[in-house]
Amino acid sequence: MQDFDVVVIGGGASGLRAAIAAKRAGASVALIAKNHPLRSNSALAQGGINAPLGKDDSPELFVEDTLAAGDGLCERSVVQSFAQEAAKEVIWLERMGVPFNRDKDGRIDRRAFGSNRRNRSCYADDRTGHMVLTVLYEQFQRLAIPSFDEWFVTSLALDGETCVGATALGLRAGKIDGFAARAVILATGGFMRMYSPSTVSIGTTGDGQALAYQSGARLTDMEMVQFHPTVFPKGQGLLITEATLGGGAQIVNQQGAAIPIDKGSPRGKLSLAIAQATQNGDGAAFLDLKPMGKEKILSFFPQTHELVKSVAGLDSTKDLIPIRPIAHRPMGGIETKASGETSIAGLFAVGECASNGLNGAGRLAGNTLTESVVFGKKVGEAAAVYVKSAAKKNFPAAKLADEEKKLAALTSGDSAQDSLVKVQAELGRLMSEKVGLVRDGGGLQQALGGIKELQARHRKIKVRNAGRIYNYELTTHLELGSMLAVAEVVARSAQARTESRGAHNRQDFPATDNLNWQSHTIAKLAQGSAQIEKKPVAN
Amino acid sequence: MQVTFKVYRKDPEKDGKPGRSNYTVDVPDGATVLESLFKIRDEIDSSLAFRCSCLRGHCGDCMVRVNGSSRLTCTAKVTAYTQKGPEISLDPLRNVSVIKDLVYDWDAFMWNKIGTVKPWLEASDATADAENVIADAQMKDLRKVMSCYQCGMCDEGCTILPVDIDFVGPAALTKAYRFVFDPRNQNAKEQLKTVEGPKGIWDCVHCYEADEHCPRGIEPTKRIIALRDEAYRVGITNEKVARHHKSFAASVTESGWVDEGRLAIESEGLTNVSGLMKLLPTAAKALMRGKAPIPYVHAKRPGAEQIKKIIEKGEAENK
Repeated sequence: MQDFDVVVIGGGASGLRAAIAAKRAGASVALIAKNHPLRSNSALAQGGINAPLGKDDSPELFVEDTLAAGDGLCERSVVQSFAQEAAKEVIWLERMGVPFNRDKDGRIDRRAFGSNRRNRSCYADDRTGHMVLTVLYEQFQRLAIPSFDEWFVTSLALDGETCVGATALGLRAGKIDGFAARAVILATGGFMRMYSPSTVSIGTTGDGQALAYQSGARLTDMEMVQFHPTVFPKGQGLLITEATLGGGAQIVNQQGAAIPIDKGSPRGKLSLAIAQATQNGDGAAFLDLKPMGKEKILSFFPQTHELVKSVAGLDSTKDLIPIRPIAHRPMGGIETKASGETSIAGLFAVGECASNGLNGAGRLAGNTLTESVVFGKKVGEAAAVYVKSAAKKNFPAAKLADEEKKLAALTSGDSAQDSLVKVQAELGRLMSEKVGLVRDGGGLQQALGGIKELQARHRKIKVRNAGRIYNYELTTHLELGSMLAVAEVVARSAQARTESRGAHNRQDFPATDNLNWQSHTIAKLAQGSAQIEKKPVAN
Repeated sequence: MQVTFKVYRKDPEKDGKPGRSNYTVDVPDGATVLESLFKIRDEIDSSLAFRCSCLRGHCGDCMVRVNGSSRLTCTAKVTAYTQKGPEISLDPLRNVSVIKDLVYDWDAFMWNKIGTVKPWLEASDATADAENVIADAQMKDLRKVMSCYQCGMCDEGCTILPVDIDFVGPAALTKAYRFVFDPRNQNAKEQLKTVEGPKGIWDCVHCYEADEHCPRGIEPTKRIIALRDEAYRVGITNEKVARHHKSFAASVTESGWVDEGRLAIESEGLTNVSGLMKLLPTAAKALMRGKAPIPYVHAKRPGAEQIKKIIEKGEAENK
């Protein structure tokens, strides 16, 4: 049995930043991650981390661009607080060692990215996420925070209505242990693996959202799923940073003719425009980096060049790269205040698994890494403050035994002639087709029916391998369970929102309905299903 | 196409003995080794354990040996390995201890070793108004070194680790380089000291396997040599190494070539009786095998004067 003030679940950028902040604020902290932190999805971020550092820029302009991308669904006070802190956090990252590219004055350089109307995306080659994650992990190690790597969280522990910790399975020793905590911070990332194809790591399976939802917490704006416009779609897919567009790359058809698209559009609009152009007979869409010139490509986008070669087998300095909009990251998540508090006492959430009103219906390109560090710090500090006055609660005595029974039940009995991989593949297809870039009522109803069927199939599948040490069949089973639970919420929320806004496009409700729908969808588990309510945007 | 994967197995929950399983699967032509592993786990053997995360060559997690050479499975195309026949062998890396199947102990292999170099900038946490002002030219090489994603290929290829598993290894030393040469680091000298100790930079034999292996062109060997040069510049703390360098340079400067006998003795130190005694068996073997001339006379070589001039010019340029 472990005992800490604050337990952070998830070792990516948000989780590490929160752990650092909580520790510096005087709490005893532990991190639990199902991977080694350096293998987190944060490492895939490429293009940049926004901060209003330029002389021509300001937090106010940054607020305006963020609100515009959010298409009326952002909470202004959260956006303002975010924009005020962004520069400080990026400067902190630089001081801690991120090797940002510099301008001619030796200051952190900023480039054009997405629909930012000023150049404010700070970057380190095209490996910004890797660099930020690396430095966060260095500072995490500096504080000697205990890190339970390759521990898979199986449940949250509640005492009445208060979260008092979690249980986790250690993959290396194959044993379950309890983690008592006065505050739990979920920083588990997005859920895009429920779509096929997607741009994300294999572990991006919505575990945090599922844990919170199944414990009674509210999720919000789950229908808001951002598609990234420039993704090489074959095999596992490869996201090519939009920063290439800002650097001079073009989107063209097979003949090399530029497709008429405003490159500075928000991602939602850009993705739709590319999807529509390809349907309208322009054929497939391609990313052409050649206008940048070989030297600029190799100098500013070295990883892009490397991976386009090893994943796509193409030369980015010579070849057209086929692209398609692909499911990328959610705007919605566990409903939180700016402090990270969820609707369950003692449970906090931050980063991509959370939704505090920053991103609304569309996230501004380059804001995600900034969000990780700005809110990682706020939420870590808020949790540390909370634990000082939190009443001591009891970790439920039977919890560990219950978890053992649950896992044992998964491995007992004969498996149906079915496969986890097949169920996941069908879920991926279903979500992409019916809950994808463009939706309609009929398709969403089919999606819900399909998801219910897949949930039933999943329940019948047993884990054939009874071992506990590095049993990836077991962890896959649990992750698929998370995705199926969360997929239902996404589809139901999409069904509820009868308008189009930001990333949510309803063919049957193509207009934006500010009269009725300048509201968040709120999802809660009740009687075994997702119940959806509306909550007007506060400010 | 049909491919047979011969995969290393080990199950700590059964007998824990190493074995091999052969799996024949039908995979699409463009499939990667990782995709084939997923297929095996789904269709044939759900107990097969292997690591992966990003699926696209970003994160370094899925490193195994494919037909004996270390490789990320997520970017390894099956067809690249079936030129000579439809069989591919998969093994854990060398120099690691295996936990289960292709899952090995990264902590012992690499994470703990990186931990020993104090891998963080000792920068002040006080709120700063602005960033450090630094020319991009100084950040460019740092970005190259920091593009390291800890894939382990350099440690896997290292020729010292099979002989001395406690050598801290090229990955950790490259990480140390990242700090010692970061112009923002206030603590560079301390971090250099941590890798100057036993099992550190002086144990590298510059075989260049690390540079051959690194998939990102970071050149770990070059970085280790740079750390040595830096240690020499600020004052080597390892006395034996310092004596060794001094003696080597002295005999080359004086005679144009290394006096191995003198080198061995001066490295140990003339008053280091126990160290000198340890040399006796080696000396005896050398004599018996005709590797040491009798009588032992170290003559000046032709060209010694030119060599001396080169050394003196190099030292003057370095100042």
